[in-house]
Amino acid sequence: MDDSSIPLPEGQGITNDTAGNTADNNATNDSDTFVLPGDFIGTTEEFRAGAQTYEKTGGVYAAITGTVRVNTARRLVSVIPCTDTPPVLERGDVVIGQIVGLRDSLAMVTIAGAKGVVDREIPNVGSAVVHVSNVKRAYVKDIAHEFGIFDILKAKIIDLNNMRLDTSEPEMGVMKALCSNCRTAMVRHDSKLKCPECGRIETRKLATGYGTGII
Amino acid sequence: MSEKPEHFIVDGKRLDGRSVDELRPIKIELSPLDRADGSCYLEWGRNKIMAAVYGPRELHPRHRQNMTKAVVQYRYNMAAFSVDDRIRPGHSRRSIEISKVGRDAFEYVVFTKFFPKTAVDIFIEVLQADAGTRTAGINAASLALADAGIPMRGLVSACAVGKVDGEIVLDLMKEEDNFGEADVPIAMTAGGKITHLQMDGNLTKEEFYEALKLAKIGCDKVYKLQRQALIEKYNGEYAENGEDAMPQARIGDADE
Repeated sequence: MDDSSIPLPEGQGITNDTAGNTADNNATNDSDTFVLPGDFIGTTEEFRAGAQTYEKTGGVYAAITGTVRVNTARRLVSVIPCTDTPPVLERGDVVIGQIVGLRDSLAMVTIAGAKGVVDREIPNVGSAVVHVSNVKRAYVKDIAHEFGIFDILKAKIIDLNNMRLDTSEPEMGVMKALCSNCRTAMVRHDSKLKCPECGRIETRKLATGYGTGII
Repeated sequence: MSEKPEHFIVDGKRLDGRSVDELRPIKIELSPLDRADGSCYLEWGRNKIMAAVYGPRELHPRHRQNMTKAVVQYRYNMAAFSVDDRIRPGHSRRSIEISKVGRDAFEYVVFTKFFPKTAVDIFIEVLQADAGTRTAGINAASLALADAGIPMRGLVSACAVGKVDGEIVLDLMKEEDNFGEADVPIAMTAGGKITHLQMDGNLTKEEFYEALKLAKIGCDKVYKLQRQALIEKYNGEYAENGEDAMPQARIGDADE
């Protein structure tokens, strides 16, 4: 094996012995094995390479700094990072974005951030879409009654490949809306929005946290 | 600049008292920078290097994006005050070259395929220079990448070998670099895959292989220090506040 030229410190690299005898119901095991990028974890006969690992010439190696987790039922080995890692969005994550376009049956959203992601930029998030059927539980006759352009939206990811979002839950929906007449921030009045400048009343699929700025 | 010394090696000791296969002392500090995604401060003899890693983040201008993988950007820069005579700030012919070879040293190592259309930015600032800053920069960058949690094939370790007084020596210092006969900076992964190799001066084939062997020993030593720094930083942290760091994980009783 070509990683053998630098000997690993004692105790590095082997996980399966400790993992095997403590298998419980969920069949995952966090061993205390601490690995660095490039460390040998096991062979491909023993394990499949899971998250943050890679396979090379019959071995499974760590791609990141962290501790080894072994799923004995699925023979899957992965590394739980100890460092800060680049954020990756998953199905069910809550994102914040701005509505940049409205079509007959869709609203186009530019994603700006996600819940739980503080300092780091999320790689490869751009535009997403909310279909009328995912706006709210009730029938939506016209999407323009629920969303306006430039609204700030809080939504849940329901499909990662096509970046489809859903706002049907009460916490999801418009977080901030601007008056389509004078562009001032609208204030919530029960289930409607009122413009403090010109008095215009608009409807939206409002998030429970409208106007609070709390994600 | 100092004069050329008459002998570089006297009684088996070099100008600063090291033996031919000895590295200068290395000091590593991880994540000194708050606002960087990953960072490392490294002192190697009298070299002082700050490395910062940002990303993967959106790459601009967009025509430089690669639809299939991330682009690694590496910037090596020497501070104006890093050498005895002030140098003109900004890039130079030399710094552009070092940035290029530094980038090449990491493109193989970083899993760029995971982050298409993005850039991984590596910044190397040389605060004080005393020969071997490109290898010190690569070592610092490697740790900063690990600190940023960017998936990698392995850490990269680098050190220079050279020839002075007709002898192959490890980790050249300033006088040896300036007046020596050859300087060969080499970077390799823990597995011995060479990701960077340059040669200034001339070596015979035999000398080159001897130099390569010595470089491997040097890189091994550097790798152990890098490893130790990461373990101290992250395994220690994990032992102290493992519960905060990993809410889902079950924590073992002992973590020695």
